[in-house]
Amino acid sequence: MVRRKTGLVLAAMVFVVLVLGGAVSLAAEKEVYVVASDIAWPPFEWVDEAGDYVGFDLDVMRAIANLEGYKIEIRDIAFDSIIAGVKAGKYDIGASGFTITDKREEVIDFSEAYWKSDQAVLVRKDSGLNIITALSNGRAIGAQRGTTGADWIQSNLIDQGIDIELKLYETYPLAVLDLVNGNLDAVVQDEPASQISVAKQKAIGIAGVIVTGEEFGFLVQQGDPYGLLAKISEAMKELRASGEWDKLVTKYFGE
Amino acid sequence: MSFLNLSYEIMPGLLKGAVVTLELTVCSISLGFILGVALALGRLYGKRPVSLFCTGYIEFFRGTPLLVQLLILYYGLPPYGIRLSSFVAGILGLGLNSAAYQAEYFRGAIQSVSQGEIMAARAIGMSRFKAIVNIILPQMFRIVIPSWSNELIYTLKYSSVAYMIGAPELMAQAKFIAAENFRYFEVFLVVAFIYLIAVVILSRILSVLEKRVRIPGLQMAQ
Repeated sequence: MVRRKTGLVLAAMVFVVLVLGGAVSLAAEKEVYVVASDIAWPPFEWVDEAGDYVGFDLDVMRAIANLEGYKIEIRDIAFDSIIAGVKAGKYDIGASGFTITDKREEVIDFSEAYWKSDQAVLVRKDSGLNIITALSNGRAIGAQRGTTGADWIQSNLIDQGIDIELKLYETYPLAVLDLVNGNLDAVVQDEPASQISVAKQKAIGIAGVIVTGEEFGFLVQQGDPYGLLAKISEAMKELRASGEWDKLVTKYFGE
Repeated sequence: MSFLNLSYEIMPGLLKGAVVTLELTVCSISLGFILGVALALGRLYGKRPVSLFCTGYIEFFRGTPLLVQLLILYYGLPPYGIRLSSFVAGILGLGLNSAAYQAEYFRGAIQSVSQGEIMAARAIGMSRFKAIVNIILPQMFRIVIPSWSNELIYTLKYSSVAYMIGAPELMAQAKFIAAENFRYFEVFLVVAFIYLIAVVILSRILSVLEKRVRIPGLQMAQ
């Protein structure tokens, strides 16, 4: 038992050193900013056949870095860990189709909105479910952990007393796969990504769209220690004025 | 919010997950136990094809990552008409995997029993089967306890991998809670303590059991 206690004390000391070490390394400017993204969510971010990180969010991040004269390093991070990591100063920017919500704004800061989205309800075509029957008593519904889609199911269905089994997944593609496999009745996912899902999986379709009017933003540590939000906002204006923005939109979302 | 307040608030959700973790552990370790005994006996005493099959099984399940096995079971099988729930796939994956490791522990224990005892049993007219059941197995179960408790602890901790296939166990609950309140450090510290407490209790129980069933006169290891 004594040895176990010593081990715990040691572990605690390592934690403290790590946390302090992270805090000390925060300088006012950086040459390379770490961008965290959950790169499994086309068309916003995914890995293409060549193994490269592509997608709307990432191209926007690269264009902004280019305009503002800083370098970025894009890292593939689990979606539900990005906000905690940005909060802890491990990553400088979160760019992963994050909806701007009050709850998230309590722990990190958002850029101005860059995209609008609603939630789509995906079902198997042969199930004959519509948007009402897919979201009613006894259904198993999937979403990615930590997303507004998961939040919506919790607060608008489960908390309202509807008997729903909410199943949470590490990524949306896994939730969609489980729907195709017949383990779920429906998946609630942002509409643009859902369009890609149904294009890839012929067995499923969009039963309907829940108009949530969500807005996506990029996120940084609270207080914005590197002044990144001003740079992002300035660069987004420039991209829009130059027509570069529209080109990216067409590239990833079609017309 | 202080750490204690937060711990208190998240405890019900975590304990719900801990119950599922225990269920996963108990079911899969039992499945692994039964299969493990069969595999160890098959490998040591089976005819050549049986022995080869058991060896192949053990090598396959020890040679591939548990996560890969779980993903195959849960996401890979449905197109072939086999649909398992997260919980069942979790038990099956953990159990089949654990069986391979347990089989090796059992084999080691069997081989540490003097083979002269089987010869002696045969000499007084016991069949080989009887000798194994009455002479070898009772000793094996006693000898294997210390290394087997290792496997139990591993299974308890590795059951956390089942969150990847959506089983609502402790790890999944913790990730869910942390994704809601963004307090990773606190949530996972509490989770670490829950695992630690469970492991300490289990290893205590097993060491008591070990003393209880010790074979008198066979304690040269101590």
